[in-house]
Amino acid sequence: MRAVAANLRWEFVRLVRSQRVYLLAIPPVAGPIGSVLAFLYLQVPSYGVAIMLGLFVTGGLGGLVVLDLSALSMGEELSRRSHLISWALPQARWEILFGRAALTLGASLGAFSLGALILWVLTGHVTFQGSALSTAVLDPGHLFIGMLALLFFLGAITLCASVITRSASEALVAGVLGAVVTASIAGYFLLQHQLTMLFPVVLVVAGIVALAWAAIRLESLEDK
Amino acid sequence: MMREAVLSLQDVSKRYGTVQALDSVSFHLDARESVGYLGPNGAGKTTTLKLLAGVTRPDSGTIRLGGFDPVRQRQPALSRTGFLIEMPGTLPYLTGEDLLRYVAELKGIPRPEWSAAGRKAADAAGATENLSRRLGTLSTGQLRRVLISSALVGDPEVLVLDEPTLGLDPAARRDIRALLRALRKEGRTLLLSTHLLEDAEAVCDRVIFLREGKILGDEPISGARGENGAPTAIRVRTLDPSIPEALQKLLPDSVRVHVEGDREFSLSFSGDEAFQSELIGRLVRGGIRLSSVTESRSSLEDRYLRLVGREDRT
Repeated sequence: MRAVAANLRWEFVRLVRSQRVYLLAIPPVAGPIGSVLAFLYLQVPSYGVAIMLGLFVTGGLGGLVVLDLSALSMGEELSRRSHLISWALPQARWEILFGRAALTLGASLGAFSLGALILWVLTGHVTFQGSALSTAVLDPGHLFIGMLALLFFLGAITLCASVITRSASEALVAGVLGAVVTASIAGYFLLQHQLTMLFPVVLVVAGIVALAWAAIRLESLEDK
Repeated sequence: MMREAVLSLQDVSKRYGTVQALDSVSFHLDARESVGYLGPNGAGKTTTLKLLAGVTRPDSGTIRLGGFDPVRQRQPALSRTGFLIEMPGTLPYLTGEDLLRYVAELKGIPRPEWSAAGRKAADAAGATENLSRRLGTLSTGQLRRVLISSALVGDPEVLVLDEPTLGLDPAARRDIRALLRALRKEGRTLLLSTHLLEDAEAVCDRVIFLREGKILGDEPISGARGENGAPTAIRVRTLDPSIPEALQKLLPDSVRVHVEGDREFSLSFSGDEAFQSELIGRLVRGGIRLSSVTESRSSLEDRYLRLVGREDRT
């Protein structure tokens, strides 16, 4: 566990030094503020509808952040060959992966959650919660959990792609493709009225499988 | 009582696609030994170091660091060894201090001592003044010193360094050699992979010659330099206008001929003075009119060229 903690700390140092840490401010700042301005401009009356729309905006921004941080987490090191330093240290490669994933995924999901919390508070001040108003297609609470699962899944497959391709840019492309496919499937199930809480559960399981696959692949990766 | 080798390879082979990078390589280092691992580019030196660090895995054979397998027992195998493999890429936005703290943490140094351990290593490698600068702003020499510092964090008993002076200016090379000599005097075990023979001559007690993945020689550096007194090369000037093409046919196969001009060539060999006389006799009997014969003791470079081959010299 010491090596996992060391890599978590190392990833934090990288975020700070590269100034990527500021990306984490986007979901809690731009997400809620942008959403609220849109509610006021569009005069969205319903609290539930506003929250749903705001979660889509904040989640979308969170998705961009998690894709970027996850792709660079392993992909940057492998493409620059700085793994010749970290791999020659007394640590297993899965410890490197999980330490870094813990920070990138944890921070991205945390940033989104903070954005969602702020959104909830602000939206209450600019909309009404009357029962006569139109209800949201998706329950905001369920949508929030679904968004968390989606972000975890996207981060995990992007990390996995960065190990397979050894490239941050190619991993990013893979992550974007994953997001498009997942959103399309979710949209289909929504239209069919079959979008249940099973969907985010499947995403989380798939994300865990992707991380496990990445760890196994990383352990057997040959230096080129 | 037998001493256990601090580092050993036994019949290690490694293939990359169609290229046999290492072919049944075996050698070991005892504690406090300083060994040069010499060979041209592509000989398999870096592959050997990557195998020792567990960065890549052997196809066959056994590798031990301090008695432990560097792939399966990474913690005990690598915690007392410092590595510098190739010129690893670095993340330009990080500082040297960031890197050394990361290494210190993974080497098991207690948190309050991370900075002190990093600074001590940087002091030894002459990198202290650049520790707070971003790695992307450092020159090749400055970066090399920081990377050597990272190998020195935690006072490792064994140091495995790959071309530590490559790309450095003469003054920096001299400083790094002085550092390596100091580390040897401190009793560190040192494996120095290089194709710069001056580095090996300055630092090593023993040299291993490698070419095309095979070990061609493993001997004390005094022997490789020809310091045992036996002449190992003769330089011959002739009265003939040119060197006969069939010169090699006059001589035993073990003798290497290096033509160095229209009227001059040298013969490299392993043998005593009687053997040298025999060679001169063969030349005379072969019709070569000798102008002068000068004997010379072998240098490490001669030994390298004899084993590895002039055409491979980089």
